[in-house]
Amino acid sequence: MEQVSFAIATIIVGVFGCVSYFYLTNIALDVIFPGRGPNAGRNINRASAIRPWLFLGPAILLLGIYLVYPVFNSIWLSFHDASGSKFIGFDNYVWLVGDKKFLESMRNNMLWLIVVPAASTFFGLVAAALTDRISWGNFAKSLIFMPMAISFIGASVIWKFIYDYRGDGSAEVGALNAMVLAFGGTAKAWITLDIWNNFLLMVVLIWIQTGFAMVILSAALRGIPEETIEAAVIDGAAPFQIFYKIKIPQIWGTIAVVWTTITILVLKVFDIVLAMTNGQWESQVLANLMFDWMFRGNDAGRASTIALVIMVLVTPIMIWNIRNARRELR
Amino acid sequence: MRHSLVAVAASVSLIAGATHAQELMFPPGDDPRFTWDSYEALKSMDLSGETISVFGPWLGPDKELVESVIAYFEAATGADVQYSGSDSFETQIVIDTGAGSPPNIAVFPQPGLATDLAGKGFLSDLGQETADWVRDNYAAGQSWVDLGTYAGKDGEQRLYGFFYKVDVKSLVWYVPENFEDAGYEVPQSMEDLKALTDQIVADGETPWCVGLGSGGATGWPATDWVEDMMLRTQPPDVYDGWVSNEIKFNDPRVTGAIDEFGYFARNDDYVAGGAGAVASLDFRESPKGLFESPPTCYMHRQASFIPAFFPEGVVVGEDADFFYFPAYSGMDLGRPVLGAGTLFSITSDSRGARAFLEFLKAPIAHEVWMAQTGFLTPHKGVNPDAFIDPVVRSLNDILLGATTFRFDGSDLMPGAIGAGVFWTGMVDYVGGKSAEDVAADIQSTWDSL
Repeated sequence: MEQVSFAIATIIVGVFGCVSYFYLTNIALDVIFPGRGPNAGRNINRASAIRPWLFLGPAILLLGIYLVYPVFNSIWLSFHDASGSKFIGFDNYVWLVGDKKFLESMRNNMLWLIVVPAASTFFGLVAAALTDRISWGNFAKSLIFMPMAISFIGASVIWKFIYDYRGDGSAEVGALNAMVLAFGGTAKAWITLDIWNNFLLMVVLIWIQTGFAMVILSAALRGIPEETIEAAVIDGAAPFQIFYKIKIPQIWGTIAVVWTTITILVLKVFDIVLAMTNGQWESQVLANLMFDWMFRGNDAGRASTIALVIMVLVTPIMIWNIRNARRELR
Repeated sequence: MRHSLVAVAASVSLIAGATHAQELMFPPGDDPRFTWDSYEALKSMDLSGETISVFGPWLGPDKELVESVIAYFEAATGADVQYSGSDSFETQIVIDTGAGSPPNIAVFPQPGLATDLAGKGFLSDLGQETADWVRDNYAAGQSWVDLGTYAGKDGEQRLYGFFYKVDVKSLVWYVPENFEDAGYEVPQSMEDLKALTDQIVADGETPWCVGLGSGGATGWPATDWVEDMMLRTQPPDVYDGWVSNEIKFNDPRVTGAIDEFGYFARNDDYVAGGAGAVASLDFRESPKGLFESPPTCYMHRQASFIPAFFPEGVVVGEDADFFYFPAYSGMDLGRPVLGAGTLFSITSDSRGARAFLEFLKAPIAHEVWMAQTGFLTPHKGVNPDAFIDPVVRSLNDILLGATTFRFDGSDLMPGAIGAGVFWTGMVDYVGGKSAEDVAADIQSTWDSL
């Protein structure tokens, strides 16, 4: 109850606080530089020079405090020991390169990086194309989109039940084991199987992200000019040819944006691994490794070093993504 | 719209206000089982207007319990104590102390993190007087002083943690009715326990339920097993050396203890569901096998808190009981007991915080919780009659009757080991890796710290 009332209060203060900030500063600006009277022209010019800064100010300030400053602080910390007080040069980086769990995390992150964006985009594209022209397409879309509304932790809990294993002699309650048994197989403790458990965790994210990919791609498919498709039909193209040779090339930019957006998300994947295996059974990933060293190992230096590795991996993809998105907008 | 907003605001303030006033659970002076003198003595401290913030890991029913205790402090001194709990206490306290906005008092579930924070200079010295008090008034007092003493920022050893509320871990839970039906006796030695295990297998049943699953903390129940086995195969100074890493993790004496755990957990016939199920089975689900019909297993080794996860309606003492996880009769290592406990530290010094620690020394602060549920204490000055529950009382007797008491070793190791690779290593071990390989992995991380 305490939490609920606290959340409600936060929402009210947050939303009304923001609205009133923009409303009141705007009024204040108009009062200080009124657009009337003898200096009307100069005042209007001044006001419109200041206005963007007023509106951007909070965002720049917050981004500075919460994004820019931490980056520099992380770099500083990564050259210091656990407590952040003693300079140790490149020791953290040396340690990182030789650490087994780090190498395992890199391998797993690469797997995630290849599989999840590819699978989500593929399934999203298929779902978008298939639901485009059927009468209950919108209903199907909402169903596929629904996992997007579930938090990663919530989704992990759901899938944990699906992969659940109780062992010989007790009734299997996990959906996957129940299916395996129905087909005459033997039940397994799925999330403990080295390498394969990674893919089982990826399924959770694919399940969530397919809806996202589908919505964006379906909008892009609808945006394709009808003439190009009509022309192809008249020229006698088969449905598959139309899809691959006419439609896909025209939405290629959108596919790239969807792909890279999911890629960035995947590099940061954390909640799913934390909730389902916590990196046990060789399923560790970078973000969870960082969290482990920060809050279990209490080592700000090593945690920052891992954080920087993640940042270095994410940045180029992000730049490419932003460029693509801007090109799409033009 | 306006009206509904006002209504929301009003109900918010109502809810916020409702949590405040708390009734005293047991009216002062009434019940002779309580040491009311110690309550009256608290009234000499006048703290009206003083606010004390306490931050700890207790939530839900535990939060209500600790608040019922705190209420006596508030009533006696007039202070206002704000307790808040979080299930990510360990993360939050690191942030709060680092950011310079700590609570007055932090309740650590284990000493490892307190050691770290003391080393960074975030904890206040509790003083020689408190150290002397603990030495004199707690059973095995010196060991509690040692457990609460860490190096400060300047490297100087001081008392930073005051233990309050203790758990006993060396327990095996069973269902007396099942034992009676099958004609089994409670084993008095480890040899007997192993014989009983084989006996149950010979009778076509499964002796043990073992589950290591615990979400992000998967693997910890195995660390308790290994610690108990260390205390049962090696003298206590070897245990201490292991915990401080003077004795390496891959020492044969340590891998021997790991294999003693493996003797039970890696045998498909011994554990319900087979050895493959052990690592992923949730520790909260695991004891339920005892109560199935027919029982999936006959015994479950777990700490004194586990009845909270028994199925609804199970009465401890009737439907379920425990026995001391026995020692080898052939080894002459006495009656070692493994335990754990929460410690209170001052993270932001104030007159109120000091007074609150004085309150924790008063028998009444222990008795109020004893008279409810789930509380054990090494305090020798409390009236044991305050335990409503004879089961809890006999648990406390195990604590007081220990020849050796040792604190949960994984809680004392650095966080990266005790809450990191030790867990992972145990999961790998149950999955089939050898004790030597697992121990070498853990040692190599320890070496890198």
